Amino acid sequence: MILGLDVGGTQTDAVILSDGKVLTANKTDTGEDLLETLRISIGKSLEGVNPAEITRMSFSTTLATNAIVQDTLDPTGMIVSAGPGMRPEWWEVGPSYHVVEGCVDHQGFEALPLDGASVVKAASIIKSGGISTVGVVGKFSVRNPLHEIQIAGIIKDQFSHVALGHRVSGILNFPRRINTTYLNAALHRIQNGFVTALSQSLDERGLTVPRYLLKPDGGTTSLRNSCNYPAIAAQSGPAASVIGALALDGCSGTTLILDVGGTTTDMAVVEDGVPFLETLGIRLGPYKTLVRSLLTHSVGIGGDSELRLGKKGDIRIGPMRVGRPRAFGGPAPTPTDAMICLGLLDVGRRELAHDAMQEFALSMPGGSEAGVAPGAKEMSVSVLEKMGETIALSARAFIHELNSRPVYTIYEVLHREAIEPSSAIVIGGPALQLAPYLEKAMGIPCRVPEHYGVANAVGAAVARVTSEVTLQADTYRGTAVIPEAGIQEKIDGRFNIESAISMAKEALREFAARGGGEEADCEISIAERQVFHMIRDYSRTGQNIRVKICITPGIIKEWRR
Amino acid sequence: MVKAARTTGLVFFPAYDWAISPTHPEREERLLYTQDQVMEEGLLDVDGIVEYKVRPASYEDIRRVHFCVPDEAAVTTESHLISAGGCLVAADAVMRKEVESAFALVRPPGHHAMRVVHGNRGFCNINIEAVMIEYLRDRYGVKKVAVVDTDCHHGDGTQDIYWHDPETLFISIHQDGRTLYPGSGFPEEAGGPNAQGATVNIPLPPRTGEEGFLFALRELVMPLLERFKPDIVINSAGQDNHFSDPITNMNFSAGGYATLNAILRPDIAVLEGGYAVESALPYVNVGIIMAMAGLDTSYVKEPNYDRDYKPQPPDTTRYIEKLIKDLRGMFLEGGLKKDIYRQGEIVERRRDVFYDTDMISERQHENLRVCRKCAGALSIDSASSRKRRIFAVHIPRSACPACQAVGRAWFDSAARSGSFDNLYLQDRTTGIYETI
Repeated sequence: MILGLDVGGTQTDAVILSDGKVLTANKTDTGEDLLETLRISIGKSLEGVNPAEITRMSFSTTLATNAIVQDTLDPTGMIVSAGPGMRPEWWEVGPSYHVVEGCVDHQGFEALPLDGASVVKAASIIKSGGISTVGVVGKFSVRNPLHEIQIAGIIKDQFSHVALGHRVSGILNFPRRINTTYLNAALHRIQNGFVTALSQSLDERGLTVPRYLLKPDGGTTSLRNSCNYPAIAAQSGPAASVIGALALDGCSGTTLILDVGGTTTDMAVVEDGVPFLETLGIRLGPYKTLVRSLLTHSVGIGGDSELRLGKKGDIRIGPMRVGRPRAFGGPAPTPTDAMICLGLLDVGRRELAHDAMQEFALSMPGGSEAGVAPGAKEMSVSVLEKMGETIALSARAFIHELNSRPVYTIYEVLHREAIEPSSAIVIGGPALQLAPYLEKAMGIPCRVPEHYGVANAVGAAVARVTSEVTLQADTYRGTAVIPEAGIQEKIDGRFNIESAISMAKEALREFAARGGGEEADCEISIAERQVFHMIRDYSRTGQNIRVKICITPGIIKEWRR
Repeated sequence: MVKAARTTGLVFFPAYDWAISPTHPEREERLLYTQDQVMEEGLLDVDGIVEYKVRPASYEDIRRVHFCVPDEAAVTTESHLISAGGCLVAADAVMRKEVESAFALVRPPGHHAMRVVHGNRGFCNINIEAVMIEYLRDRYGVKKVAVVDTDCHHGDGTQDIYWHDPETLFISIHQDGRTLYPGSGFPEEAGGPNAQGATVNIPLPPRTGEEGFLFALRELVMPLLERFKPDIVINSAGQDNHFSDPITNMNFSAGGYATLNAILRPDIAVLEGGYAVESALPYVNVGIIMAMAGLDTSYVKEPNYDRDYKPQPPDTTRYIEKLIKDLRGMFLEGGLKKDIYRQGEIVERRRDVFYDTDMISERQHENLRVCRKCAGALSIDSASSRKRRIFAVHIPRSACPACQAVGRAWFDSAARSGSFDNLYLQDRTTGIYETI
């Protein structure tokens, strides 16, 4: 049996899965104390279950996200070596940010040695501010981490934790590397505390099986590994829904996934079971990061969105949520009221929903005159039609954006087919009631899978461990670097694309194992392979080889039906 | 996060799967390190810098400009169409006011491609700026265009295409043609009979440094633009004036290019040449993008600048000051000696064109109708060493009824003569492109 749990802003969903089936599902109100919420939710899930039968546990939590949004991050110092280009002070982050002299160029050559004296000075300023964690980032450190390693060597004894930029991702983006390293350092103590407390609580219940945290890329990592890179487990909610939809439906072909919630609708596109990823990484609060993430789009419209009228009497839904629906004693009419009024949903008080929709109809221009205003049911239908149209419009814009992503080869310009979903999966609370309206507005079949209301918890439960490594080899410089795995090797002129791929595969297996990935689940795919001949003065000097391989997001084999 | 003072579109197309030949400077790797540097700097995360996806240009787009021999398919590859299409995307972004300016960072380049195209010369097959300019005119009704070509090589293709067009001011700053390919671009080349003074060539001596380029820009180019008052300014942003470029002899720098761009403030910049792919392009392109976006470029500097940048020698400075003084006299103070022609007179021009990349020789015989009302009907009789002789007629956008009639009559009589392998009529007043 697998326990899956997704902590949402207002509700926490949990499921117990077995043999490809959802055995039980429950909902808990999300409280102030995350750990307490988890304990309650786990307690409910284990009612009538023998803990010894649980073989795997996986959580999607809001720990990191909350710390970022509520700004309860640990004070963290930053030491950055930049070299020429954009001014490094533009990327200032945290209370004690220091730029030191030193430059590594785009090919990984040291263009200017590190100024060790200024590192010592920066460290003493950081320390004098009572700060005990530090992030260290160099421009082009993913090509050559020399300066980051040198800085860490100078300061490591003075601080309780030092996070290094090149370990974050192989992607080239200095400002995002700074942000991500900063978050990893500033979340380190918080994540450690949470993981320790949660582990203790699980141990006490006799749940000693592997434990995972969901990441925004739709994959998981072991609870223990998340302490090294806490930012990678932030904001995994949308990913939980996408993986849940994949698990419950299979999503063959090109599928649009719509998760309709209380205040927002999240969307994503999946092609033959593989979701699209953000090009660089997720944005966490004000920080653009290199944390790998599914490409999702959120629009402020959901079951509890406030209904209003525009100047011309047109129906407006959201983006505000002012409270619960009127049927539950809330202040304003909502799409949920429309569903209740039409008898599509049997919750709350139907007469209140009916009144809400009638009043809403009467508030239309000229509505107070006899016989002009539509009836409550007619109005409810208009509201749901409008909701379907608004979501469809947003989905079309999202797909257009996906198709507008730049490409850099002739082959891709001419031969890559446009992304055009042939069907949609609708999940979330009001999925069943809304699907017919979405289908009409979008003109493609809209399916609602079984257990659509807890798809997110299912997603958290069945997501496999994902991992990615980036290799860059330069036979002229004589080095191969895999920054995420901390690998730097000397190579000779015989090194080629095949050697690069096998070296990267080996590193990925090891790297994924650290994150809790089992050998059998390692479906490795090559995301990028490029070989450039480097030429000076019309003759070949070497090869520049770039390989990116990954374990793409997907479902653990215990679930695959 | 950093915000651009001026919103900027970026069309990036490195064509990672295309090269002229495996060891040719115009090869797959050319923009690889530029992309690395642009990505690492995080330029695409700057608020106000927007990246656009390329699309291929169509043959119709090319036919507004060129006579391709025997046809477009024979002289272009997909890469040329996409490179030109990248410029069209940049033009759309600016004209739709999505961004204030745009940079088409595309390859292969185009500024050596002339109106008649038998093959590749100077790494260029089709003139991507000209394809964009004529698209701007047809699609958006743009009239007066200024092209400032800052590639180290004379932009002889662009000069050829706009030689007779008084509505296009073409200014080329380049290394003196006596010392570098293509060997042209001297001050006396100032435009055809109907467009005298609309072509301005500024041949700078080898070893010209930052101060020389910026001096020419401030003292000559900017006043010329101020007087011409173009609807749009285009920069053919070649980057081979750089001190580390392997095939030229100038002393310009990334910081200098950034300053040049900040002063010029082009609406659209288009990459041209530049083959120091590791040591110059990454820094020059970052400098240009930042300058277009109005960001502080004082930190843009090659890591080897202090070691390798050579300041401009004093005798070079004196030479440039004298040159600019003379050119100001010619183009700003009425000193240009204009030839006098009769209205309706037909002026002939004969010349040889060499296609260095494809080793083709071409002999052209051009006829132009002198006209005070329009750019004048133009015919070109062109024979190449590939044993192909063509006859082409260009009727300009602004053509008066008389020039339209003359142009059609030329075409009809050439068609009857039977002396040509191919005949072309490019009637820009109607958009008709006819071939026989």
